[in-house]
Amino acid sequence: MTDELIARLSSNLNRVPPQALQNRLWIAVGIGLSAALLLAYPVLHLLLDRPMGATWGGMMFWVKAGYTIAFGLLGCAALPVLARPDGRILWPMASAAILLLASLTLGTMSWMTTDWSMSELMGATSMVCPWLIVLTSTPILAAMLVALRAMAPRSSTMAGFAAGLLAGGFGAAIYSFYCGETGMMFMAVWYSLGVAATAALGALLGRPLLRW
Amino acid sequence: MQTDPTEKRLRALMLASLDGDAAAYRSLLTELGRHLRPYFTRRLTPAFASHAEDLVQDTLLAIHTRRMTYDRSRPFTAWLHAVAHHKFVDHVRRQSIRLTVPLEDDAPIFAHDDSADAIARRDLNAVLEAVPPRTSDLIRRTRVDGASVAEAAAAHGMTETAAKVSIHRGLKSLAARFAGGRNDR
Repeated sequence: MTDELIARLSSNLNRVPPQALQNRLWIAVGIGLSAALLLAYPVLHLLLDRPMGATWGGMMFWVKAGYTIAFGLLGCAALPVLARPDGRILWPMASAAILLLASLTLGTMSWMTTDWSMSELMGATSMVCPWLIVLTSTPILAAMLVALRAMAPRSSTMAGFAAGLLAGGFGAAIYSFYCGETGMMFMAVWYSLGVAATAALGALLGRPLLRW
Repeated sequence: MQTDPTEKRLRALMLASLDGDAAAYRSLLTELGRHLRPYFTRRLTPAFASHAEDLVQDTLLAIHTRRMTYDRSRPFTAWLHAVAHHKFVDHVRRQSIRLTVPLEDDAPIFAHDDSADAIARRDLNAVLEAVPPRTSDLIRRTRVDGASVAEAAAAHGMTETAAKVSIHRGLKSLAARFAGGRNDR
């Protein structure tokens, strides 16, 4: 029985190039990003009437882009480790938490200078912003989960969470092209919530989907 | 980096396998199977020892389909251990969900009662007093304690045939006395 299995497995052996795992993951990031970029314009600009480039070039545009892309990159750092059966890594998650605290601190300080005006916190789109970030991130998350299904994460929940962090970060960066908000506190609360919701969704989906 | 000879040998085989060397792969899997079988048997309770072979096959299959996740710069045995451990935990978890014991297997906890045994033993002693002591001892040895006729005969220094006859006669007389007259004629 076992000998038969061994014979069968060794008879159709394909070469596995070094870095095969990383390559698969980066290809998935590429596919997910392209899909998200392609879908964002018709969905956000045309369908939901959110003009592209409302805040382009402003200081807050770059802050938002940098903040969200940082989450995406932390996901990129964690994922190749968490996709392995012997993978343990903590610093990207810790860094994400520190980043979140830093943005909330800066946001609170800038909110203070506006004398706690409600519009600084709520903007005009706070009720839809986190949902639209999750929506924009969905193609990236899907591509990452599909790629991860061929791998062997030590914890399927943690791998799903890292995939969600990556997707949420890059998805929020794409969403920021279509977002007219310029408040620091708005970003610290609602963008963070969108990224966190995507990461939670990734953990939730990863738990059953990434079992092996 | 690693001086352990097992690690060195297995890692070399794994690297060759990743490069497509089927012969190296075959000897790697064969050797891993030999290591994994006792590994799982030791971890399973004796009641589930038969699952070890399933687990070995599950693990070999996972090693095959997930071999991409082995990082060439890291120790192979650590990766292997992680895969085997994952498969073991997964198996135990699934078993504990599925192994709700069927009802008929659940009963024997109460079916067997030590005090009922004691009563039966007292009855047996009373009954066996009705036949000669040597015969009663032969019956007790062969029918209650599970000894063979030859062993019981040797204990009394008699031939096997004589013991057989003695047991037969004793049982017959007991049956005649306690079977409510059905056997006597």
